[in-house]
Amino acid sequence: MGGFWRRWLGRAFRGVQGHRKRFVALVLTPFVLYMAFWTLFPLAWGFALAFFDYSARRAGGPFLGLGGNNPFVGLAHFRAMLDFSPRAPLEVRTFHIALKVTLLFVALVVPMNLAITLPLAVLIESVHRRIRPIFRTVFFLPVLAPSVGVAIMWGYIYHPQRGLLNALLGKLLGHMVAINWLGDPRLQVLGVPVALFAIVIAYLWQDMGYNLVIFIAALQAIPEAIKDAARIDGASGVQMFFRITLPLLMPTILLTMVLTTISAFQVFDLVQVMTDGGPKYQTQVLLLHIYNYAFRFQKMGWAAAVSLVMFLIVLSISLLQSRFLRVRWEF
Amino acid sequence: MLRTAIQSRAWLKGTAWRRWWRPAYLVLVPLSLVGLLPFIWMIFGAFKTGAEIRQIPPTFFPHHFTLDNFKHVLTDPDLPLLLFYRNSFIIAAANVVQVLFTSSLLGYVFAKFEFRGRQLLFWFLMALMMIPSQLTMIPGYLMLAKLGLLNNLLGLILPAAIDPFGVFFFRQFIYSIPNELLDAARVDGASEFQIYFRIVLPQLGPALATFGLLTFMFNWNAYLWPLIVLTEQKVRTLPIILTWYSTRMGNKYHLTMAAAVLVVMPVLLVFMFVQRWIVKGITLTGLKT
Repeated sequence: MGGFWRRWLGRAFRGVQGHRKRFVALVLTPFVLYMAFWTLFPLAWGFALAFFDYSARRAGGPFLGLGGNNPFVGLAHFRAMLDFSPRAPLEVRTFHIALKVTLLFVALVVPMNLAITLPLAVLIESVHRRIRPIFRTVFFLPVLAPSVGVAIMWGYIYHPQRGLLNALLGKLLGHMVAINWLGDPRLQVLGVPVALFAIVIAYLWQDMGYNLVIFIAALQAIPEAIKDAARIDGASGVQMFFRITLPLLMPTILLTMVLTTISAFQVFDLVQVMTDGGPKYQTQVLLLHIYNYAFRFQKMGWAAAVSLVMFLIVLSISLLQSRFLRVRWEF
Repeated sequence: MLRTAIQSRAWLKGTAWRRWWRPAYLVLVPLSLVGLLPFIWMIFGAFKTGAEIRQIPPTFFPHHFTLDNFKHVLTDPDLPLLLFYRNSFIIAAANVVQVLFTSSLLGYVFAKFEFRGRQLLFWFLMALMMIPSQLTMIPGYLMLAKLGLLNNLLGLILPAAIDPFGVFFFRQFIYSIPNELLDAARVDGASEFQIYFRIVLPQLGPALATFGLLTFMFNWNAYLWPLIVLTEQKVRTLPIILTWYSTRMGNKYHLTMAAAVLVVMPVLLVFMFVQRWIVKGITLTGLKT
């Protein structure tokens, strides 16, 4: 077999140029086959699943188990998603909740993240060169930790009796506090469930380090000459920030905004470990909904349809990302 | 000599602090203490006795410093931590090796060779970068089931051999390797694979370290995909075992925290020492989990 290939390739690509072409063919052929098998094929399969009432437990038709007991339902899943009546099936109602929760989560995380990380990066850059790495490490540490560990740590902080948060509040207020941060569905502030907000805090703590180091790198890339010129003109620190730093960082800010949005859309680990979507679906995010319907309730067709919708949402953000990425290389 | 003398005189006169002092510390120091608090709370919890954990209100510092929790966790026959360390390590290390190999090789081909369809193939690869993992999650699971790779570490290795981000990353680096260097090797009669191994790869040291560490970290910390693929206890990875243990222990937070310390801290220390590379990787690629 190997001999055949060598002879065939030898005949196809002769000479020095052929030598190189053979190398390219040798590398790219397995690459293309691999991508076709492990990426394109599952993509097509996942797309097809969205149009079937599929469960891995049922033996369906001969081709990939589609058809037969896993009937083709066309656009039924997508049509069901548009059913907003209270009599809609449970998966539809929880999907609506999941979409709302995810959008709320993203709307909370992205502005809060940027509002913390950008000033923090400026502050860290303002201290002595030798001290900077200490602070950077402190805020970057949670990025390096497994998110499951983070979820368990924060679950312990939020615990109604044993948690640090209630203990601190108790000290501050002078009496016992036993708020069930992650488990009480009645706790809401301005329509935001407190449990979701608690997860947002843990998520911010873990995720901040990413944007922080990106901002620090961008700040260091601002030429000293520009800052010196401003200083000579008598600009104050605040003026420097708003007139020099902020405009020059605009491309980076847009980039981090998009990156943070995309990853916040796909939040899973923290939610699954800390609340598993509860209380009363108040923290059930889209990816958790997909996971539950695919692997717990065995409604893979429905889950595939939801992931397709989620993909379209994330894709539209990704396209924005690629536009901003081009801006990014400018300085 | 002279500089140290001046510096120590400045210290003696108490003027040196002025050079180091910044108002930013008023914000940074308290904020970093708050930032470290979750870690501290976890570590303190791991050293408290079961009775102290049950106290209401809870104590902050452990009153009776004990190592029993760690002993308990490490000797628990249902929790062979070393096995889970091994599983996590096999997956992460195998992925680092194969991703570095395929990314640098493909990056080399895309950067230094002219062939028909190059642009098309590269854009196809870039398009794959935008596909979120949840889209291939369900069919990926079904494929592994059909291939009999569920509950097999290979199920987390085989489908992950090519990382489009890596190809893109290495292509950028390999552009800067001068063509003359490659041509000189060609004149000396080196084959293309030899050139890749002997000339290109050694030039990529920092890039390999950066991308290798990022890949290792992402695989080591991964949760969702291993959760789906590995449902049998003996093949599970550390993050999954940690949630399993924490659910089983319920309110026994001293034991959960001891397990969490054993899972989180060792690798966190390692990552801390190499964070320079990880930071570089993140700022260069904007890559995220």
